[in-house]
Amino acid sequence: MNAPLAVEALDLERTYASGHATVAALAGVTLGIRRGEFVAVMGPSGSGKSTLLNVVAGLERPTGGTVRVDGEDLAKLDEEALARHRSKRVGMVFQAFNLLPRFRVVDNVALPLAFSGVPAAERIRRARAMLERLGMSSRAEHRTNELSGGELQRAAVARALIAQPAILLADEPTGNLDSANGAALIALFEELHAQGQTVLLVTHDAQIASHAERTIRMRDGRVVDE
Amino acid sequence: MSLGNYGRARLRSGLTTAGVTIGTALVVLLIALATGAEDNVRRSIFSIGDLRLVTVQPFQPGANGLSAVPRTITDDTVAKLKGVAHVDGVYRQFDAPLGMVVEGGDDATIRPQGIEPGAPVDRGDLLAGRHLEAGDRAVAVIPGNIARLVAPTAGAAIGRTVTMRVGGAVKLGSTRIGGSGTPRDYAVKIVGVFDEQASQTSFRIPLDDALLAGAENRGLTPDAIRETTGYSGLAVEADDSINVADIVKSVQELGFSSFSLKQVVEQIDQGFGVFRGILAGIGGVALLVAAIGIANTMVMSVLERTREIGIMKAVGASPGDIRALFLAEAAYVGVFGGILGLALGLAGGQLIDRIIRQLNPRTNPAAIFVVGPELALGALALALGVALLAGFLPARRAMRMSALSALRYE
Repeated sequence: MNAPLAVEALDLERTYASGHATVAALAGVTLGIRRGEFVAVMGPSGSGKSTLLNVVAGLERPTGGTVRVDGEDLAKLDEEALARHRSKRVGMVFQAFNLLPRFRVVDNVALPLAFSGVPAAERIRRARAMLERLGMSSRAEHRTNELSGGELQRAAVARALIAQPAILLADEPTGNLDSANGAALIALFEELHAQGQTVLLVTHDAQIASHAERTIRMRDGRVVDE
Repeated sequence: MSLGNYGRARLRSGLTTAGVTIGTALVVLLIALATGAEDNVRRSIFSIGDLRLVTVQPFQPGANGLSAVPRTITDDTVAKLKGVAHVDGVYRQFDAPLGMVVEGGDDATIRPQGIEPGAPVDRGDLLAGRHLEAGDRAVAVIPGNIARLVAPTAGAAIGRTVTMRVGGAVKLGSTRIGGSGTPRDYAVKIVGVFDEQASQTSFRIPLDDALLAGAENRGLTPDAIRETTGYSGLAVEADDSINVADIVKSVQELGFSSFSLKQVVEQIDQGFGVFRGILAGIGGVALLVAAIGIANTMVMSVLERTREIGIMKAVGASPGDIRALFLAEAAYVGVFGGILGLALGLAGGQLIDRIIRQLNPRTNPAAIFVVGPELALGALALALGVALLAGFLPARRAMRMSALSALRYE
């Protein structure tokens, strides 16, 4: 009966060596996120919420426990497979947008497809369709330095969704936006969620988190409240 | 994508490419110069004679190549050489004592050379008449300069009979020296005139005539000459120049000294190989400097684009993708630089060639710089190879960068 989980973490640990001491960013996190769910992870800075997201995104490797994303055990993946995981299974939206400044918006959106062997013409066609879906068609040919913050983040969402990932990840996506643009972005996330997209959002802002179906609170590398 | 990067940092890419261009051009120019020089020397050698020939000389090379020991070339020697593999023909030669032509007003010193019909020395250089043929007696094929003493033109000399005095005093330059043995006169009919470029003194006469003249000069019989004096030399012709070395070995085993242009050419080839290697080395240093330039540009490029590498990795670029991206950038520098360098080398060679000819119009008409397809392709491959090698370490550095720390890089 249970739908397979989009994210399944069991006693997940991530420690950093800091001089002589070791710092545990994740100190045994266990959680599950169902497909189609919209989940916000909340916590103060240093609570480990960004580390959790990076581990799910395949940008960092856990030092203990297991994590499965869309059924795949990330600990078993080598560097090449982890790169494929990032390009296909997850889509990541960053606080700092992280778009390539010298490329057109459409090229930025198409970028993940370039690393999964989609031919150039097909990449651009799909990127245009995605921009259309997010109401960004008029900006497709622009360079990123010609876009507003809200438009930049919308382009970043388009890039995150281009490979139809199992889960959309967002790390403080409204952090660099004014409140109007922030609200518009959250509305976009709700809309995507309504269309069936799994969303995992990290924020320290309760106002933003309140739009999610469920909020996971973290402190000192542990889940404190669901 | 990497082509975009190449275009973005235009000045830097341009300067790096210029380094490769100059290096490649230098390699092309220097090797072309060596090849041109070698071609010229080889062409001059080929114009001297046939590479298939081995000349057998009537002595044995002495120990340490110092003193040669005389040896007699007999018909037995000839028979043995005819049995050697790859030998197409063995032509005997007997030089009668020096003599003079006394007809035609001015007397001229001559060397009567007894040869067999079809001998390599008597081929393809006729101004008039014919070569020696089997069964000929009391005839001669003579050089153009002597023919013109006898008749107004080479053609008019054909059919004329001259007196050939063998032995006795001869004129060498302005001095007269006493000859050997008893002088004796022979009437010979001129049947052919050859271009005196080959020799201005040689009278090509039938082998038996020369043997007779040599015998009578010393009061012997031709058979005695064959047995005791032996032939002056043999021209051994190989079926192909690649077999010359084998034949030379057989000649040495028989105890005779030999000479072949083919071996001279091989030694020259070796010498030029060294020469070319040195020149290529000089050009290679220029390419090495260019390689350091490429490596530097790439290291800067990797540093400058750390964040970009992080972004690409975050959206799914694998380590291999990143490495390929930077190696492709290095490859563009190599390919562009290689093509431009090849063009520059070709143009530079032409220009220097023209300038040298203007300064010295009597320069050998053959090309000074020779660029064959191997050199052209080799230069391109070298430029590309050097660029890839130079790009390898920076590319690996980019590949190994952690995505997260690269994203945080400012």
